[in-house]
Amino acid sequence: MNTLDTNLVIWLNGLSGNIKFFDDLMRIIASDYLMPLVFSLAMLGLWFLGKTPTQRVRYQIQMLIGISALALSNVVVWLININWDRPRPFVDHGDELNLLFYPPTDPSFPANPVAVGFAVAMAAWVVNRKFGWWMFAVATLFGLSRLYAGVFYPTDIIGGAVVGIAVYGFTSYFRRFLEPVVTSFVRLMRGLSAA
Amino acid sequence: MNTDPNAVRDLFASHYFIFAFLASLGTLQIAVSNSGIRGLWLTPHRGMTRWLGVALIITGIVIFFLQPMWVEGPWAAGSVEADSITREIGTASWSELAGARNVNDIHGGLDGNKQAKWFPLAAILAFAVSALIGTVNVKTLRNLELSSPSDSPTAAATPATDDGLAGLTNRPYLANLPISFRNFKADIPKVWRTGLDSADRWSLFKMIFGRNSN
Repeated sequence: MNTLDTNLVIWLNGLSGNIKFFDDLMRIIASDYLMPLVFSLAMLGLWFLGKTPTQRVRYQIQMLIGISALALSNVVVWLININWDRPRPFVDHGDELNLLFYPPTDPSFPANPVAVGFAVAMAAWVVNRKFGWWMFAVATLFGLSRLYAGVFYPTDIIGGAVVGIAVYGFTSYFRRFLEPVVTSFVRLMRGLSAA
Repeated sequence: MNTDPNAVRDLFASHYFIFAFLASLGTLQIAVSNSGIRGLWLTPHRGMTRWLGVALIITGIVIFFLQPMWVEGPWAAGSVEADSITREIGTASWSELAGARNVNDIHGGLDGNKQAKWFPLAAILAFAVSALIGTVNVKTLRNLELSSPSDSPTAAATPATDDGLAGLTNRPYLANLPISFRNFKADIPKVWRTGLDSADRWSLFKMIFGRNSN
């Protein structure tokens, strides 16, 4: 499994260095700013997207679950990191990789950006399948760009996706412990003409 | 890294805020044009508002990633490699532009927590700007209504029960706010009671306030 993981990252990263435009595009997609902002914008859009008050409340509650899942994903990734410090691919195979991104100092497994992206994508998918599939595609692209850049193994990406989906499921379930506060918060926002 | 990470962080924060503000404003415009909330439109026309939203998002992205070409930062030409520790202060070259923003947070890049602080502020500012300009738009549409009642999209009177974003369909923000807040104050005890009654038996609040609110 480890060999396959290593071979895949070396093969995919080996494609870099041929077409500069493609490498630059991957550097921008892999950046810490573009895709995380896309995830945040997706949640912002979801808040305002509903066409009827009922649909709007449904979207807004999903948005709150999505934001909570996003935050909680970071905590779960951190908890896994303190228990398993998997070295990054460029640490173990530095001489075989062409690093396109700065060398992160935190552990490799699971991929934090992918966990966050999948948590958000799940929230979008629950209320709007088409929008949700787009968000899954964006989160996957983000993970692939980091794989191409040589900072994650494929299993880190898969692990991140599983963490994101699982945390969303837990957060969605956990909402039942917090009702009616969540619904009342949305009602307060409506009182402030923002929901 | 030949510079103070805190100084780099401040630079990144200001750039990120503009980026997040423009992109939030654009997203907001696309969403409200789709849901017909005229009180938040930046232009009086749905199609124009939507395209303006797309343009604002693209502008935000383009400015953020091109800025290193004219703003000095940890991306001096010739020093932008994968490892952000070797950076020098200066302006970036075109060939190194794509990697210029890839600075580790320990060297002054913005980590997730900092972004989580700046993004909501940018989104709130985007909402405030939309509400302000939307007020002018709603008034413009009302004037149109007076000149040609049948053509105006605001011809239908907004019921007093429509509040929140639904009320913003035909009402400016400041006119909608007192109505929304009055309805909120009247509704909230009922919303809380109904919510508590229908909440799951494991709801912490149901346990605290009693299983039967009556």
